[in-house]
Amino acid sequence: MYRYKGEDVFVVDGHVHHWDASEENIKHEGGEQFIQCFYDYHTGFTPEDRQWTIDEYRTYDTDRMVSDLFGSGYVDVAVTQPTHLDEFYEEGFNRVDTNAELAEQYPDRFVANGRFDPREGEEGLEELERQKAEYDITGVKVYTAEWRGDSKGWRLDSEEAFEYLQKCVDLGIENIHAHKGPTIRPLNKDAFDVADIDDAATSFPDLNFVVEHIGLPRLDDFCWIAAQEPNVYGGLAVAAPFAQVRPKKFGEILGELLFWLGEDRILFGSDYAIWEPEWLIEAVMTAELTPEQRAEYGVEFDLETKKKVMGENAAELYDIDIPKRADTLQDDAISEEFGLTGGDIGPEEGAAD
Amino acid sequence: MAGPITPTAVRERLDRVTDPELDRSIVALGYIESVDVDLPEVRVEFCLPTAWCSPAFAWMMATDARREVETLSGVERAVVVLTDHMHEEEITRGVNEGMSFEATFPDADGDVESVRRDLDEKALLSRQYHAVSALLDAGLTPEQVVGLTPERLNLDHVDDAAAGSAVRADGAPETPEATTVFVREGTVGITVPLESTHSYLAKARPLGVVTDGSDPLFRTPDGETLTAENFERVYHRTRLTATNMDGQGGICAYLHEARQGRRHLAEVE
Repeated sequence: MYRYKGEDVFVVDGHVHHWDASEENIKHEGGEQFIQCFYDYHTGFTPEDRQWTIDEYRTYDTDRMVSDLFGSGYVDVAVTQPTHLDEFYEEGFNRVDTNAELAEQYPDRFVANGRFDPREGEEGLEELERQKAEYDITGVKVYTAEWRGDSKGWRLDSEEAFEYLQKCVDLGIENIHAHKGPTIRPLNKDAFDVADIDDAATSFPDLNFVVEHIGLPRLDDFCWIAAQEPNVYGGLAVAAPFAQVRPKKFGEILGELLFWLGEDRILFGSDYAIWEPEWLIEAVMTAELTPEQRAEYGVEFDLETKKKVMGENAAELYDIDIPKRADTLQDDAISEEFGLTGGDIGPEEGAAD
Repeated sequence: MAGPITPTAVRERLDRVTDPELDRSIVALGYIESVDVDLPEVRVEFCLPTAWCSPAFAWMMATDARREVETLSGVERAVVVLTDHMHEEEITRGVNEGMSFEATFPDADGDVESVRRDLDEKALLSRQYHAVSALLDAGLTPEQVVGLTPERLNLDHVDDAAAGSAVRADGAPETPEATTVFVREGTVGITVPLESTHSYLAKARPLGVVTDGSDPLFRTPDGETLTAENFERVYHRTRLTATNMDGQGGICAYLHEARQGRRHLAEVE
């Protein structure tokens, strides 16, 4: 819980990982380059005194994760987003089952998402069924730029992908988080392309499509699609750190998102462990649009909007009853361990002034 | 350009090469690692913000750099070397041996020129936003902006690429920095700055969007006529494209800084 000027703000971190990029787990040079690239994102945007070493960063245990998210990080509920990358890592980078263990241990604190890859055919559909049966997933992360054999990626508007999306409808998996951001290759084929979201969102109006990293570097294409598709959402991971390092630029990006999507379709995500939620949430919660930006875009980023972005919008997608859940969390094991009881863990009242 | 070829002269020439995704000079972005002049050969090393920056984008920058440097008189051969990239070997070899992108990356689908065209179109929209903003700020109304042509801005015979930097021997700029637009049937003159319009035309002319002095200056993202009715929507869409380029530029800048820091640390160790 974040406390802002005396008001509690319920935080759903819509994008966290529990990964393993230890040297023993890397089987392809792409795996090493992948984690090094993540580390550049980490050091590029993290305040110097909060940076991890590369060794800490390669892999971390659940204790650290729980402490960083809930102990110091203000997060109430976190959504894990798996990324297998089996071509790069022996045991995968960030697996459904590893993530689901967290949700089994702390069912009120974690929402464990599954994943699918339509190139896995019939087997993949069965695997999706297993994820539903075992973990009752209500969302999936899809990584369209992932390598598989000779293939360097896939599209959400392909026939095979539609078969999987239909399976999601049938199984009651409603939230499709598509990673549209940094990737490894596909040569001149543009893996950042968000165009495939358009068809998928039109064809599956009952599913919600959360475009992670708001399509950067395709914010323009993303907003244009989202303006026309009411079931398309924007995940703030990667945009949020701008609140820390370039507040004016963050205001512009947010201004565009609020202008084109409105305040109900933007979701906060830290992308942990790329960044730690503590400083990130402080930066976003204290961010303000300049008077010029408010005039230019005709939008506000006031407390009401911040509450939606930080938690209410995601709670809506994942059926979390905020007052009820806050009540449960107030004296759960994690609150007890970190002395969070009472929810009063944000900065002092008025300190954000 | 007369005089000896110095590394500075090479960098000045390379300043014309842009990162196609950000529409900014690769020199200003700090991508150039080194320039070695050993006439008739010049060797340029460059490094991108990440090891997996799009190979197609890297290819465009490398081929453009080679072409620009080889226009300098006295340079017979420019060798362009990409470092610390997942495909540094293929790209360096392909570019310097004059191979095509398709021959260099046989498993790539689509062609590099269509990617370039798409990015150029985005750069154009972003430049349109800045040009239109400047014209509105100067006091023109949307109705007046949609009716503009190069002729009306006295820009029908101007070398846009040279605009802003070139200065004639007598000290006067080659290209006008401002002009007066007469509106309300010629009864009112409004002085407008031209820097961002020059930049817009430098992209619009090679793309064939503006070919004649009497062509409309601006258009919609779909290539249709800009009208008083669609003006606001188009203005918002071009603003969005500009915000995206600028935002992505910020991400690349931080990644570049982080990576350079790590590389330098590794060198010290």
